[in-house]
Amino acid sequence: MNSERNFALWMVAPAAVVVALVVVWPFLYNIVLSFSNMSLLHIHDWELIGPRQYEKVFSDTSFYVVFGKTMVWTVLNVFFHVTIGVALAVILHENVPGKRLFRTLLILPWAIPAVVTALTWRGMFHYEYGAVNLILTKVFAQTPIQWLNDPLGTFAACVITNVWLGFPFMMVVALGGLQSIPKELYEAAMIDGASAWQRFKTITLPMLVPVLMPAVILGFVWTFNKVDIVWLVSNGGEPADQTHILVSYVYRAAFNLYRYGYAAAGSMIIFLLLVLFSVTFMRRMRAKQGA
Amino acid sequence: MRVLLLFALLGVIGCAKDDGITRIQLWHQMQPEDRAVLVRVVEAYDAKLGAVEVEVIYKETEELRSNYQSAALAGLGPDLLYGPSDQVGPLATMQFVRPLDEWFGKDDFSRLDERAVVKFKGATYQIADRIGNHLALVYNKKLLPTPPQTTDELIRVGQEVTKDLNGDGVTDQWGLVWNFTEPFFFIPWFSGFGGWVLDDNAQPTLNTPAAANAFRFVRSLRDEYKIVPPDCDYNTADALFKEGRAAMLINGPWSWAGYGAAGIDYELARIPLVSSTGLWPAPMVSPLGYSINVHSDGKELAATVELLKYLLSDSVQQEFVEATGIIPSSLAVRAEPSYVSRPHVATSLSQFETGKAMPIVPELRAVWDAMRASYQSVLGGYLSPEDAAAKMQRDAELKIREMNE
Repeated sequence: MNSERNFALWMVAPAAVVVALVVVWPFLYNIVLSFSNMSLLHIHDWELIGPRQYEKVFSDTSFYVVFGKTMVWTVLNVFFHVTIGVALAVILHENVPGKRLFRTLLILPWAIPAVVTALTWRGMFHYEYGAVNLILTKVFAQTPIQWLNDPLGTFAACVITNVWLGFPFMMVVALGGLQSIPKELYEAAMIDGASAWQRFKTITLPMLVPVLMPAVILGFVWTFNKVDIVWLVSNGGEPADQTHILVSYVYRAAFNLYRYGYAAAGSMIIFLLLVLFSVTFMRRMRAKQGA
Repeated sequence: MRVLLLFALLGVIGCAKDDGITRIQLWHQMQPEDRAVLVRVVEAYDAKLGAVEVEVIYKETEELRSNYQSAALAGLGPDLLYGPSDQVGPLATMQFVRPLDEWFGKDDFSRLDERAVVKFKGATYQIADRIGNHLALVYNKKLLPTPPQTTDELIRVGQEVTKDLNGDGVTDQWGLVWNFTEPFFFIPWFSGFGGWVLDDNAQPTLNTPAAANAFRFVRSLRDEYKIVPPDCDYNTADALFKEGRAAMLINGPWSWAGYGAAGIDYELARIPLVSSTGLWPAPMVSPLGYSINVHSDGKELAATVELLKYLLSDSVQQEFVEATGIIPSSLAVRAEPSYVSRPHVATSLSQFETGKAMPIVPELRAVWDAMRASYQSVLGGYLSPEDAAAKMQRDAELKIREMNE
């Protein structure tokens, strides 16, 4: 028994070493840097300066503006990921014709690399030659929208792109959850004369919540940090640096202005915000389930 | 026993290859046409030496810069780094690149254009195989036989060739296209109106009438004269010109060969003289060259120095010239009759002569950052040209202060 345990430990050891090197060590190093003055002029001779970098982050008004945008970005995306994902899962769970084909097609956005998706959508949002405005003008006879020259338009373009990219994940999770709901519950509800909406509200949704909860937390964390879509669709924060989320804000501080200590403090704040959200969300959901 | 076996297995996997071959890595940001030449000359070098293997890795310019910073900070990174000269200031300040004076002296430099030897605080940190990197006016001879000489002419001919060809209310052919949202592409106009980014003490000089007038001019090309598309980034401009749907384009030497390959009968010209000031626009000119990682050491360092000498040699520069028409740093290659008679060389050199050297100080990063936001605010209509000029000066000063904390 003891030798089996030892063997298991040795088997896990290489992975543990790799995790320690690529996750734990950089994380601890980042914590140290966040209390340091590491910058362009102090790259080798940096020293610990206490919480001054955190004070700077919190006293910077642009941090709060970007934080607000990040929250709107995250909530909008997760909301649409879940609603579209669950709606499509419910439809595909029924006996619709061409179910397999639709399921494959709807998972495609997830299979395409995010970089390709982002750049394709950026092209589609082009004012004159993009597919979105061409459809708006030619099919719906509407005036074209300045998607990428206007801060609100660019933000909307980023959200649309990321919603398209993210709903298949929620759809797959919800489909898995739907298959685990006993059919007898629906049969009993139908005998009682429950409508489709009542069946969804009282059976499907409550039974899906435990399955969706980890996915929503993951989706929130991923979206909060989803810098690639924002960066590529907005071409690095355009127009006028109005399209940033906290991660791109921190990236710019580190790699454009060489403010490593400041950027490390910013990234620790992001980490703590996400931990706070995850813990609070899980506690609330557990409390609801227990009630 | 099992544990010993496991360790033995890990040991075998972890052992570095010791086959007598020195492996060195080169990171670069060359465009496809140049990239093919680089791979070819490096392969020839590997084959000739046998005992050296050079791994060539392409990264986009910004990715190259940030990845190199991270790698060098961790004591890693490529042995040799290729890129524009503006990265030299920050990398030398952070001591991520080596001074090259130990291996390269006056004899080596005398055969090169003096602008190819990039010095920072007295030491040489980069040696270029080409100079220029300058923006110029590229025009499609089929749509525009003669390029405009002044901005007044630019507007006039631009309006003549901007056309809705099929009468559907959408412009199909544009007078002028360029990546007008990016500050680097704004510099020719900024300088043409009499402005520049930094003074001799690396302090920003952005809040000037020149900046406001240049902002106003660029905006007028789009909004008043309507000779540039309302939404035009680098890729849009590039695609429109390659499709023959733009008569003029402003772009740099990295792109020119691609227009010929796309079947466009093009020629280069100076960016037109600004009529109201009588000044020629001065695009930023900069060398593109090689630096050695401060962490490259031992036999890798020796091999890297040899590779660098080879990459700067006349024969290699000649290969690049033949493939892409760069302005080589080698004076001998530049004096070759075959070079001088090449298409576009004379016009490229003519534009190059009006250019101004790109500052290599770290403060330029802060200037780009500050300019981008204000410039795009003017284009978006959120700020007046005067307010934008004042704001970009304030932002640049603040960013420089933060950077130098």
